[in-house]
Amino acid sequence: MFTANGDRLNYWVRAAMIGAIYVVLTLIFAPISYGMIQVRVSEMLMVLPYFTGAAVPGLFVGCMIANIFGGHGMLDIVFGSLATLIAAYLVTKIEHKYLVPLPPVIINAIIVGKILSIVLEMPFYLTAMWVGIGQVIACYGLGLPLLLFLEKRRYIFK
Amino acid sequence: MNRSITMGQYIPGNSILHRLNPRLKIIALVLLLVFLFLLDTFSALGASLGLALALFALAGVPFSYLLRGLRPVLYIALFALIIYFFFTSGGVVLFRIGFITVESEGVEQGLFIVARLVVLVLFSLLLTLTTTPLSLTHGMSYFLKPLSHIGLPTEEVAMIMAVALRFIPTIMEESQRLMRAQLARGADFETGSIFRKAGSLVPLIVPLFVSAFRRADELALAMEARGYRIGARRTRMHEDVIMLKDWAALAIVIILIALALTFDL
Repeated sequence: MFTANGDRLNYWVRAAMIGAIYVVLTLIFAPISYGMIQVRVSEMLMVLPYFTGAAVPGLFVGCMIANIFGGHGMLDIVFGSLATLIAAYLVTKIEHKYLVPLPPVIINAIIVGKILSIVLEMPFYLTAMWVGIGQVIACYGLGLPLLLFLEKRRYIFK
Repeated sequence: MNRSITMGQYIPGNSILHRLNPRLKIIALVLLLVFLFLLDTFSALGASLGLALALFALAGVPFSYLLRGLRPVLYIALFALIIYFFFTSGGVVLFRIGFITVESEGVEQGLFIVARLVVLVLFSLLLTLTTTPLSLTHGMSYFLKPLSHIGLPTEEVAMIMAVALRFIPTIMEESQRLMRAQLARGADFETGSIFRKAGSLVPLIVPLFVSAFRRADELALAMEARGYRIGARRTRMHEDVIMLKDWAALAIVIILIALALTFDL
């Protein structure tokens, strides 16, 4: 790419690909449930904004499409994607790699937990914990190893 | 791993629900969802369930799709029922095992919440079953548009939604090709704990990214060569226009909701 427009276009199209990969992972690993706890394997990709800013819009769009394809309906489409957008943005601000999976855990637990507690009329701490545990498994259990693996291969994102 | 994967939930059809404007369908759905939260009796919920089922019949959606669509909320529903049944007190004690008691109020509340959840998901399903993912994302990006006033790149987001949708089948195929290549080398995606499964994923993800980014670079170059400019005004091949029948459908929804609320159904 040689022009400024080309560079920006490149950024956005890469974002689109990251979104598509998120959707594909969501579809291939359709709900893996760990007892009652639900783990969305594709959430491991939430570490990507650590490497490239294009992952922020990419994950947002990917999450929105994945939630349109399947999932729990309108509330999920709007608020699930919003949580992903905020969390992905915060990940770009984090320098310490062991803290990278933290925003998707906390933001999802707060936003999705809050929505669930309204829909189910249950105490917030219960639903937040329920969401949070699933996110810890996906983001720390799967995302962190991915981050450590990708760190030695940063050239992919160049 | 080669389970048939349905691309979204859309069922092609030509019913009136299929032909309504996606933007107005989204608005109508939001209104109905808010309405659901104003209800507090089982009979009102039953009436909404009846409305949802009538609309499904109108859309010509087979019954099996409803059940399949409800599957994702199974765990949430179970989770809620367990909490309500065992941890809500009040009313008559229905039965007691050791220190655990199930009381009537908890059962009643739990069933109400879950029934509302089911109706809520059914209404949402109506939208995703009768609208193609592409027109849905167009609709969603229309509602994102006002955010461009605070400097958010909504045009670009709309563009990458369309690009991502276009490339999902391609990347799906690519990932299955990579999986077969790894399987031939003795990889194992099927057994073991979730961590083992995910561990076997890692060697898959790297080539997936490499090839996806290569595609992205080529596509960006091609788009630029065809004159795509970031920040320029875009036109669409298929403009979606809101017609009289769309307004009429929205009006019907609003009238139904207003009637139900004024007569305290």
